[in-house]
Amino acid sequence: MTSPFPKSSSVGGEGLIVAALLPQGHSGLEAMTFQYPLKLITAMRPPDTRSALVFLLTYGGGLVGGDRVSLSIEVRPGARLSLATQGHTKIFKSPGPDVITRQLLRVDVAAGGALCLLPDPVQPFAESVYEQVQVFRMARGASLCLLDWVTQGRRAFGEDWSFVRWAGRNEVWLADGPGENKTGSQGGPGVVGTGDRLLVRDSLVLDSRRAHPQLPSLRETMHGVAVTGTLVLRGSLVKALADFFLAEFAALPRLGARDWRSESEAKRKQQEAQTPRERWRAERLRMEQENRVLWSAASVRGCVVVKFAAPELEAGRRWIGSMLAEEGSIARHFGEQALLCVR
Amino acid sequence: MDTPDDPLDCEIAELERKLAEAKARARRRQAQQPRQPPHPPHPTLPNYTDLPSPTAPPTPPSAANHFLLLLSDSALPLGSFAFSSGLESYLTHQKAPTTRLHHPSSSSPFSSFSTFLPLSLSSVAATSLPFVLAAHRLISIHPGRSADDGDDDGSSLLAAGLASLDDAADAAIPCTVARRASVAQGRALLSIWERAFAAGVAERQRGQQEQQPPPPPPPSRDAVEVAALKRFSALLKGAAPPGSGSGTAAAEDEADNDPPAVSAHLAPLFGAISAVLGLSAEQTAYVFLLGHTKAVVSAAVRAGVFGPYQAQRTLAGAGVQELIGAVVTREWHTPVEEAGQTVPVLDLWVGRHEVLYSRIFNS
Repeated sequence: MTSPFPKSSSVGGEGLIVAALLPQGHSGLEAMTFQYPLKLITAMRPPDTRSALVFLLTYGGGLVGGDRVSLSIEVRPGARLSLATQGHTKIFKSPGPDVITRQLLRVDVAAGGALCLLPDPVQPFAESVYEQVQVFRMARGASLCLLDWVTQGRRAFGEDWSFVRWAGRNEVWLADGPGENKTGSQGGPGVVGTGDRLLVRDSLVLDSRRAHPQLPSLRETMHGVAVTGTLVLRGSLVKALADFFLAEFAALPRLGARDWRSESEAKRKQQEAQTPRERWRAERLRMEQENRVLWSAASVRGCVVVKFAAPELEAGRRWIGSMLAEEGSIARHFGEQALLCVR
Repeated sequence: MDTPDDPLDCEIAELERKLAEAKARARRRQAQQPRQPPHPPHPTLPNYTDLPSPTAPPTPPSAANHFLLLLSDSALPLGSFAFSSGLESYLTHQKAPTTRLHHPSSSSPFSSFSTFLPLSLSSVAATSLPFVLAAHRLISIHPGRSADDGDDDGSSLLAAGLASLDDAADAAIPCTVARRASVAQGRALLSIWERAFAAGVAERQRGQQEQQPPPPPPPSRDAVEVAALKRFSALLKGAAPPGSGSGTAAAEDEADNDPPAVSAHLAPLFGAISAVLGLSAEQTAYVFLLGHTKAVVSAAVRAGVFGPYQAQRTLAGAGVQELIGAVVTREWHTPVEEAGQTVPVLDLWVGRHEVLYSRIFNS
């Protein structure tokens, strides 16, 4: 696949992370380089050795108009890498609609390797113009947990989907042959080859410029949600989590169903909820209804895609955090550190 | 050069005939004027006996126009009536305060529908139209048979191109309900092609060949396209066990269970088959989106939002026509890689169709 970005004379914003299995069986970093405005941080003594942990940051806490970040990540066989952020990725106002702020993430995950990317949401400010492309090239037997979410902007400043454009695309490819150590000058992590097969391409295009005055404005289109997000799960390490989302979705109460039981009967039934999971579910459903969190889950070509939206950012964060915490396998496989941004 | 059907001669003859008729009418009117009754029924309306006779017999409509009408017919057995494209789920979500995202000023079903239709059109154009147009272009630009192709007439390459578009479309629909709807209608369209349209195209080809006595060079472009659709259909039948489009959870959960080679999604097949039938890209895009609009409007009638006259009024309105034109223009150059959802909540409504207690539609 050719790069979706035009060639840039500046090489700024490039970064590389290579995660590998260290001799003592821990996951660690073999390489980590970055250039302004990208900034990567890792702990010298990681609190948890189940996965290597890198914080994706930017100088100044955000990307200003026209910034470009291009990060390549390689996860070697058997290694695990967690990526987090420290606060929203802010996208500052752009000087004009043609000045596009761009982030490109290319990832290669080798067999037995796993990547957990649970960042804070992207927060596009009013008048920002942003495009992000994230390409995940997965070997057979590789695993991925990817969260991509975006907020309405700075609510305190009255921003409510007030940017010019936000376009985000996530692609999951099944790598042809062993994914690791691709050589060749054109190669590199996440560069899709001819034998690779696209599994999922999830793409969101939010543009304030309307094609026709009859079309609702972007704010109206968003229907009052403050955050909208997508979680993509693939591979054996997150299989249990993927099944959990599908099962919880299947267990949602039917919309428009009538409850013929008397109120006291219904209450008694609810209190009888036996297992901890059932109690948790009842409480979660109550929160979902109170906060009007809408979500769905679908099995798509060997991946599970979960979509959610909420009228309050923190309600959305609590919801996804509660789902991941209750199921528990992210913490088990990657350590609690992987969940820093969703608590 | 000097044949009777030289177009210039025809045009001159046609114009002369019109002139003669106009003069005759002028003479008749002059002759009648003195004897005009004091109160004519209508001063400018001629009596039916005075109507000019039709000038020339009409040229028969092209095959492309004929198929355009067939593709826009609601009797086309695509099964579109079974799908509401999220309308049913949207209306249900709007009813309950715990699932209503938005508090519209007026919440009648009609105003809800007025909100829904432009969103739905914008979304289907953004997500599906690039696939329709790409498939149309694929068929339109293929070189046909080249001299040294040997056994293969170029149809396998064309079929592979269509299959890869179909595969990309399959990867781009992140929702079980929408996939099921797209695949059901895509397969129905392929069946219509195989069982009905293909024979119609073949008849026309035979007719053309008989009119041109020297036999034309072996397989024409059309024949290559027909063969490519046949190959695509064979890929589908040889692909996966039936029903893999909707998929049992167990089968699809196998992390490394590769997706089938082709699924037969509606958008790429609609573009390809329309191109083979001779429709232009503009006609194809328009009739695709009009078909979607008609399906949603008709779903609204059956969901009790409004009656059949209001439905036709919506369809006849300038708004729908302009809206379709505007979103076609918006997506005219969008490559399939950049096709994307413009209405994120629509993915939720469509995806959550599965959790409705009662359903009259499949999407």
